[in-house]
Amino acid sequence: MSESAVASHVEDLGGKSRSQWFWAGAWSAMRGPMLVVAISLIGVGGLARDAGFSIDIAIASTILIWAGPAQVLFFGAVAAKASWAVIALSISISSVRFVPMVVSLLPMLRTRRTKLITLLFAAHFIAVTVWAEGMRRLPGIARDGRLPYFFGFSFICILGTSLSTALGYVLVGELPMAWAAGLLFMSPIYFIATLVRNARQPLDRYALALGLVLAPFTEAFAPKGLDLVVLGLVGGTGAWVIARSVHGRAQ
Amino acid sequence: MNPALDSGLWPWVVLICFGFLPSEFWRLISVFLARGLDEHSPWLIWIRAVATALLAGVVAKLLLSPNGALAVLPLWARVGPLALGMAAFFVFRRSVFAAILVGQAAIISAGYWVAG
Repeated sequence: MSESAVASHVEDLGGKSRSQWFWAGAWSAMRGPMLVVAISLIGVGGLARDAGFSIDIAIASTILIWAGPAQVLFFGAVAAKASWAVIALSISISSVRFVPMVVSLLPMLRTRRTKLITLLFAAHFIAVTVWAEGMRRLPGIARDGRLPYFFGFSFICILGTSLSTALGYVLVGELPMAWAAGLLFMSPIYFIATLVRNARQPLDRYALALGLVLAPFTEAFAPKGLDLVVLGLVGGTGAWVIARSVHGRAQ
Repeated sequence: MNPALDSGLWPWVVLICFGFLPSEFWRLISVFLARGLDEHSPWLIWIRAVATALLAGVVAKLLLSPNGALAVLPLWARVGPLALGMAAFFVFRRSVFAAILVGQAAIISAGYWVAG
C-alpha cells in the first residue's frame, strides 16, 4: 500500500510499453476466450435474420449491445412483435446484471490519471467473458498496463464475435440439431468452468453454489425478468454472510 | 405497425433506442457507482459475490429452461455433459479447455442419441 503511494507519480508499466500491453491482451484473447464468446453468440445472427433485420444491424447489435442475453431478447421480442416499450424495458432489466461486474472490475483498471471518458468507454466492453477473464488476469498485470491490456483483449473478443454474428446470419437453419445444441451449450460450460477456476476463496465457492442451487427458486418466485438480479443479491449476500460467520471478518 | 426493418434508417433507430441505450445505461451508471471504491474496499468483496452468484444463475437458467436446440434434449442430456465437462476440468488440472472439449463431445453425442 505505502509502496504504491510513493510510486503514484511514476508510471508502473512493468517493463512493457502501452502498445505491448495492448497486443499482450489481444493475444491472450485470441488464445481461447475470443473463440468461446464468438462461438456462443453465433446464434444471435440467426435470430436477427429471423426477426427480419439486415446483416449490418445484426453485426451492429454485437458491437453496440455486446450482451448475448440482451441481443437474444431484442431479436426474439421484435420477431414476436412486442411493443417497443416492453422491448426496451426487458432489455434494460436483463442488463442490470452489469452493475456488479462493472463496479468490481473498474477499480482494478483505473489509475489516478484515467479520464472519465476512458472509463465510460471501457465500461462498454464489460460483459460476462471480459469480466470473468479480467478479474482473473488483471491483478497480475502492472497497474498502468491494465487498461491497454483490457482494450486489446476486449477489441479482439468483440471483433471475433462480430464475425461469428455474421456467420450465424448466413448459416441459420443449416446446422443439424446436435451441433446447434453444442453451440448453445458453449456459454454454460465455459461460464461454469471459468467461475470454478476463478473461485479461489471460500466466498467465491459459496456464491457459485448458492447461485446454482437457488436459480430454480428465484425463477419460480421472483418477478419475471428480475429473477437473476434477485438471485445475485440473495445468493451473493448469503454467501457473504456464510463466509463471514465461518471464516471471520478477514474474508 | 412496424415499418420495414430491412432497410433505411428505422432499423438503426430501433437498435439504438430500444436495444443499445436501455442496456448501456447500466454500464454508464456503474462507472459513477464505482468512482468512490478502491480495489480493496470491503464493498467490492460483497459485490463480487453478487456477480458470481448471478452468473452461476445464468448457467442454471440456460440449462433448466433452455431455448432452441437445447430444449429438444431431456434434462439428463443437458446436465450430464456439464457434469462430465467439470469432471474433465478437475482431471486435467483445472483446464477450462478440457471442460469445453469433453462437455461438447458429450452434448453432441447426446444430441445424436436423442435425435436417433
